[in-house]
Amino acid sequence: MNCRSEVLEVTVEARQVEEAMLALLHTILLHRSTGKFHYKKEGTYSIGTVGTLDFDCDFIDFTFVRVSSEELDRVIRKAVSEFKDALSNSGSDGMGQISLEFYQKKKSRWPFSDECIPWEVWSIKVNVVNLANEQERQICREKVGEKLGEKVINVVEVINRHEYLPKMPTQSEVDNVFDTSLKDVQPYLYKITYQITDSLGTSVSTTMRRLIKDTLAL
Amino acid sequence: MAHFDTEYQRLEASYSDSPPGEENLLMHVPEGAKSQWHHIENLDLFFQRVYNLHQKNGFTCMLLGEIFELVQLLFVVGFTVFLANCVDYDVLFANKFVNHTDSSKVTLPDAFLPMDVCSARIRDNAFVIFVLIISGVFWLHRLVKFIYNVCCYWEIRSFYINALKMTMSELPYATWQEVQARIVEIQKEHQICIHKKELTELDIYHRILRFKNYMVAMVNKSLLPVRFRLPSLGESVFYTRGLKYNFELIFFWGPGSLFENEWSLKPEYKRGGNRLELADRLASRILWIGIANLLLCPVILVWQILYAFFSYTEVIKREPGSLGARCWSLYGRCYLRHFNELDHELMSRLSKGYKAASKYMNCFLSPLLTVVAKNVAFFAGSLLAVLIALTIYDEDVLAVEHVLSSITLLGVCITVCRSFIPDKHMVFCPEQLLRVILAHIHYMPDHWQGNAHRYETRDQFSQLFQYKAVFILEELLSPVVTPIILIFCLRRKSLEIIDFFRNFTVEVVGVGDTCSFAQMDIRQHGHPAWMSEGKTEASIYQQAEDGKTELSLMHFAITNPQWQPPQETTHFISQLKERVHREATGVPSDTHPLSLSESEPRSLVANLLAGPSTLASVHFGRDSSLTNHAAAGISDGASALRSLSPISSSLHLRGSLSAAHRVVGHTGKTMAGSGTDARTVSSGSSAWEGQLTSLILSEYASTEMSIHALYMHELHKQQSRGELSRHTWHRQESDESSDSVPDEVRSEPNPHSRHFPRSHTFPTTVPSPSAIPSSASATSSTTLGQEGASQGSNQRRYSGPPTDTFSAGGRVVRSARVPMGGWAEEAQTARHHEPLPEESSEDEMPPRIHKVT
Repeated sequence: MNCRSEVLEVTVEARQVEEAMLALLHTILLHRSTGKFHYKKEGTYSIGTVGTLDFDCDFIDFTFVRVSSEELDRVIRKAVSEFKDALSNSGSDGMGQISLEFYQKKKSRWPFSDECIPWEVWSIKVNVVNLANEQERQICREKVGEKLGEKVINVVEVINRHEYLPKMPTQSEVDNVFDTSLKDVQPYLYKITYQITDSLGTSVSTTMRRLIKDTLAL
Repeated sequence: MAHFDTEYQRLEASYSDSPPGEENLLMHVPEGAKSQWHHIENLDLFFQRVYNLHQKNGFTCMLLGEIFELVQLLFVVGFTVFLANCVDYDVLFANKFVNHTDSSKVTLPDAFLPMDVCSARIRDNAFVIFVLIISGVFWLHRLVKFIYNVCCYWEIRSFYINALKMTMSELPYATWQEVQARIVEIQKEHQICIHKKELTELDIYHRILRFKNYMVAMVNKSLLPVRFRLPSLGESVFYTRGLKYNFELIFFWGPGSLFENEWSLKPEYKRGGNRLELADRLASRILWIGIANLLLCPVILVWQILYAFFSYTEVIKREPGSLGARCWSLYGRCYLRHFNELDHELMSRLSKGYKAASKYMNCFLSPLLTVVAKNVAFFAGSLLAVLIALTIYDEDVLAVEHVLSSITLLGVCITVCRSFIPDKHMVFCPEQLLRVILAHIHYMPDHWQGNAHRYETRDQFSQLFQYKAVFILEELLSPVVTPIILIFCLRRKSLEIIDFFRNFTVEVVGVGDTCSFAQMDIRQHGHPAWMSEGKTEASIYQQAEDGKTELSLMHFAITNPQWQPPQETTHFISQLKERVHREATGVPSDTHPLSLSESEPRSLVANLLAGPSTLASVHFGRDSSLTNHAAAGISDGASALRSLSPISSSLHLRGSLSAAHRVVGHTGKTMAGSGTDARTVSSGSSAWEGQLTSLILSEYASTEMSIHALYMHELHKQQSRGELSRHTWHRQESDESSDSVPDEVRSEPNPHSRHFPRSHTFPTTVPSPSAIPSSASATSSTTLGQEGASQGSNQRRYSGPPTDTFSAGGRVVRSARVPMGGWAEEAQTARHHEPLPEESSEDEMPPRIHKVT
């Protein structure tokens, strides 16, 4: 696939899952968001401001910075809580993966819908552990905090590399690159998906699609 | 004095953070997406299409070709059904009278059955309906594919025009290397691939040939069950397109295949933990696919027949004798293919070897058949002559029943017989022919050398180079045989396959998972018997057979002079080039630190040139005719090579086109003597100059590669000869015919030795891996004495024109006392680097390879 992929792994307690996920997703999105673009005359634009706020976690000794956009927060919280529920309902060994995928749309001549081409995928693998007593929980609380701090630095390092980013779009194309539905902030187009225990084999639909595509290919 | 000139001054600007006016805002200019070509989703497919469009000579050609194919298909099916069902043959053969009132003439429409009768006959015939349905599906499939392709390739076309700035009309005359150079160029601007700033040639090759490289490696490591020992036929190879399709279905893209998508292996296959379970799953999948094949057998059979009909009717029509002609078999193509070799490169190489190969095969006409054929031809010929003479006298003879048909039959009979009668002027010199073939095909099992005159060699060669009729027959048999192979042979290998994919897959940044052999890393996959001794750290399992890594590396470096290989690889390439170059120019190399080792193969290129004189003429005459070399002249060929080799190597070293321009005239003059490509060379008008340069470059590249391949084989042989003197594994049943030149040292066969030459792909006995390691290490130290003797015999082998061979030979013998000295030295230097191979290579290069564990 023509896209970068980064993998982060965390080991947390069940009640920390939500905050840990929020911390990482928000950190990534903080760096992948810009202010709203205001297009002026002929091909110029100005960028609005992005507010940030500190967020203190309840179950982890950790504070992270996130974009102060309630809408964005709501979207992410929704995805994360779905993931958390699925994880606790799965009943298996508590492994899961949530991925944040940045993509851009391409208008295709092909009579079907627009292609969504991912350019960066962050996969966060979560390993849920059960702890026996309060003391261990206390240790875990600090440990996870430290770990998350490392991850955040890791994320910032990756983002600081000079690597491919979609070019700044013109007014007509802005929807192909940025998510413009939010009022106060404008992240790159993203998609959050999750997966409970890496299932073997691809789904039937993707296989069929590939089968058809491959038979058609020259 | 309150006035100081410091840089620290009071900030005049206001501190107001209040919403600023518009004028204070930072304004940005959007770059926009200037082209649609940045960040392409599926680069594999994209590059493949770019390549295909180039190979098909542009969009219009492709479009027209495909449309005609569709029409042709409809026509052939329709016409066949019509002929079978709607023609009243009784009328045509005049067995039945047509009662016309006015005239006695029978017209063609009289022979047609009326519409309703015709359709009734078709409707009653279940088989015809079955065939019609299948061909209908076939046609629809082609149609959908065609429409899909048109959409896709339209995009590629605009990529060529807008991004690569090449029009479709100039495309047929541009080489792939040019196209590729432009792709590399525009990556900097458009970022087609987002992982790195720059694409390399190797990346593009990797993407286009990802799965083919795996197949080549699997054939190289004898993993695929394509060789069988049949009770009556002996050893035979069965590898058809149907089988290949099934292999690809199982490994690469079918449902539940090993690959997740086109660029990555599924993660569970990269871990060694549950290999047994995965192998079980693969085995059951193979079983199911085998059963599906069995069930679909009749459908596939009809499909195959249609397909074969389409692919070959035209050929058979054009030249009826072409059924007797040969072609490179599918297995041969896989066996002979380098890693990272595109289709057109392989095809041009094999086509160059075609003439020599068919000549070689024709050497082995059975004398018995010849005698019979001569006599049959005599009788048939006399009958035919009489009939023709009679016809000329009075053409009413033709009206007599069966005269015309017997004339035709006799003609065919004579043609067939003639193909069994050898050319009167042909000389039996298989060894030389085989060398000429080797110069083009680059691979050959060790035991062929020196055994070219033997029937076993011929039989094995015919596995690579089979009769076209056999090829078609195998294709038709394939639907029946394929499921059997899948179920009974491939299934047993499932564990090996799983291991293969796990061990030989590396993830390259920006490319995805590729076959590690295709990295052409001497260190990981080199074979010590193929010049990479001391450099390679590969275990037996990891070594590519037949020197494939080394030869592929040379081939790739020569065809893509712009490519920047990793450090060690560059070292290897430049060293080899330098050696070959020095050999070719004949510069004494005594001052060189490696002179001891140099002396051993010194005479090689000289031998190549002077010894089999045909070779030289072949190289430059592009014509393998043995009688031709008188015209070409030995010295001409040699001098041409001498001038060529430094030129092309310097060309490739610099990689500059301007150098080529300078050189063109020079070589043109040199080669004019041998009456060869001088036409092409000297026709460089200004309009053609650019293309000519690259054309010449690529032509020289192939010649240079031929020289390198021969050189490496020669060196390999010399290197293993020392071992052969102890390990003569294939000499047991040898017989010396008067034609052959003695070229091997005889000694007692060693029971151990049968394991030594490990061309797995042509095993007479499959060596057990445990027995092998001793031979490689033992050789360099123990076989000093035999080396000299083998050198002596080597001299006899190339005793053609004796002039400079002997002088070179003298030196060889003198210094042959340290046979592997140079190699040992190199091994030391290599070892010197060893402590830091991982870090150094990784540091200097952008991180290229993440080894999958």
